[in-house]
Amino acid sequence: MLEYARDNFPENPNSFLHSAELAKHQGNKENLELYLSIAQKHFPELLETWLKSAEYSMHYHDYISAELFNNKARKIATKNLVAPFIQYAEIAMLKKDWELALSRWEIVRKSFPKHPSGYNQAAKAAKALGKNSFAIELKLSQEYGPNLLSKPLVKEKTLSYAHTNGTLFSFFPLIWLKATLNLKSEVQRNFLSYGWWVLEPLLHMGVYYLVFGFLLNRGGENFSIFLLTGLIPWIWFNKSINSCSTSILEAQNTILQTSLPTLIFPLICILQNTLKQGPVLLLLLGFISLQGFGPNIYWWSLIPIFIVQLNITIFFSCLVAAVIPFIRDFTYIVGSGLTFLMFLSGIFYDYKTISTDWHGLFFLNPIAFLLKCYREVLVESSSPDLLSLSYWGFSFIIANIILAFIYQQLRHIYPRIILE
Amino acid sequence: MKPLLSLKKISIHYKKNTPIFKKKEYFEALKSITLDIFPGETLGIIGRNGAGKSTLLRVISGIIKPNSGKIINDGASISLLSLQAGFDDNLCGRDNTVLTGMMHGFRRKEIEEQLEKIIHYSELEEFFHEPVRTYSAGMRARLAFSISTIFSPDILLIDEVLAVGDSRFRKKAELTMIQKIRSQQTIIMVTHSQQQILRLCDRAILIENGISIADGLPEKIIHLYNELAD
Repeated sequence: MLEYARDNFPENPNSFLHSAELAKHQGNKENLELYLSIAQKHFPELLETWLKSAEYSMHYHDYISAELFNNKARKIATKNLVAPFIQYAEIAMLKKDWELALSRWEIVRKSFPKHPSGYNQAAKAAKALGKNSFAIELKLSQEYGPNLLSKPLVKEKTLSYAHTNGTLFSFFPLIWLKATLNLKSEVQRNFLSYGWWVLEPLLHMGVYYLVFGFLLNRGGENFSIFLLTGLIPWIWFNKSINSCSTSILEAQNTILQTSLPTLIFPLICILQNTLKQGPVLLLLLGFISLQGFGPNIYWWSLIPIFIVQLNITIFFSCLVAAVIPFIRDFTYIVGSGLTFLMFLSGIFYDYKTISTDWHGLFFLNPIAFLLKCYREVLVESSSPDLLSLSYWGFSFIIANIILAFIYQQLRHIYPRIILE
Repeated sequence: MKPLLSLKKISIHYKKNTPIFKKKEYFEALKSITLDIFPGETLGIIGRNGAGKSTLLRVISGIIKPNSGKIINDGASISLLSLQAGFDDNLCGRDNTVLTGMMHGFRRKEIEEQLEKIIHYSELEEFFHEPVRTYSAGMRARLAFSISTIFSPDILLIDEVLAVGDSRFRKKAELTMIQKIRSQQTIIMVTHSQQQILRLCDRAILIENGISIADGLPEKIIHLYNELAD
């Protein structure tokens, strides 16, 4: 039939090209070349002629001819035809000249950015060259567009690491921000928000006043001021310890994700409680002034008292926070311990009512000593025992330094303890 | 090429939760892992649940110290990204962004300068100024991922982060990662998605029962993983 077609329609190139195809399948190289040469002679303007010629040359590994035929094909091809360019690159692939293939696939990509072979086949060439990353990029840019390949390769280094080799002080901005944001979060949760900070100690005072001042009739003159000067510092201490006790466990997500020093978590709690107690303390001072107890020169000594209490609070809070991840049952002991300490600190009774024989033992409790100082200043308008105060302050500063060192040593232990 | 970070025969065991007076039992999470991480590479870690992948990331990031073995790091900064970022539900997206950034070691000012970029990237718009408790799960994930786009440590560790939001955002997230990869950022990623490893990584390791059983080209490793799963 092909012979009939060749004889009757010599002006139709298809009969020769199909004959060539058949000859290729029959393995008849002679006939193949004959039909191709006829096609090349009579139909040199036809793209198909040269593409097929190149294809058959590639089939017989005659790459020099393949390049020649492909060159002709590319010359006569209109610009929107991708086939000759794909063939151009495929010849290089068959020659295993991968660099050449890559550059030819690049031509395909540039002229025909939507054609997949410009990426897929190029990725094969890149892989053969051992350029795995480039191969991955090529495949991805088929999906995300060729722009991906032209983006600059410079690594952005916009942000610096504040924590690298940081001391505890370099974490202060973070501690401050977290504490203030925690307060903000707390305020958003409750209806009365800020009001609670003041209402809570007042409620406590109401209960104690009712029990001790009224029912037991133990209150003396100015019992409300006496109670408040004991209660407000106590609430600060008590709340700090309570909220710190689980601070490390509660921060487990952060601990398992960042290498922040563990010590900052209880410190955040302490700062949060201190910021909350600040306005309450100011209100207390205002209330005392209204009652006609000052202000006087001794009020300046509130500053060292406050600093000593802060140190004591930091020590006990951080100590409890450090122990609880190891022995979680310790949480229950902390609660009972605080109640015990509350009764031993003279919040609703005057230490002077205790026999002087016991004073030495009683004031081994630093909280009892602190409350005595607060009352000496605020209720009795006299100077506190500054020598003993500095002794307590100094001891707890040293204790805190030791504690910070222990925290540093345990830094890598906590993530494990949390996981175990 | 000199590795950026080297793990030499790392072993980790955790104590099992046993009553105080009983003999302690241990669970071996990682057994003698040796691994070099080279600058600019994208390494995928694949393995079944509980194989030790996340533990390995925690060791690399320096959060957990190994029980034995050595980690050699000449001062490369490392950040671990995961979507379990502890957001405070009562705070708005903005506050959480600043806080998360600072927890990862950035200065407040630096993060605040990047806020516009993060809002734009997260597509949260006015929700960015609403408390996080009003967010959907997808929005949370989007915020967490958007914050991480400003990170550029020497080694970036990614724990299943790319599975965020809807398919459109996931594509955007992947594109961001690709750009990081192209900018020679060293990345180590843990994922269950074999496709992701094939598409993004130029090297992969397979972890099974705490042992690194294969290290090489992603195609080979995935093939081995599938054989193992059968």
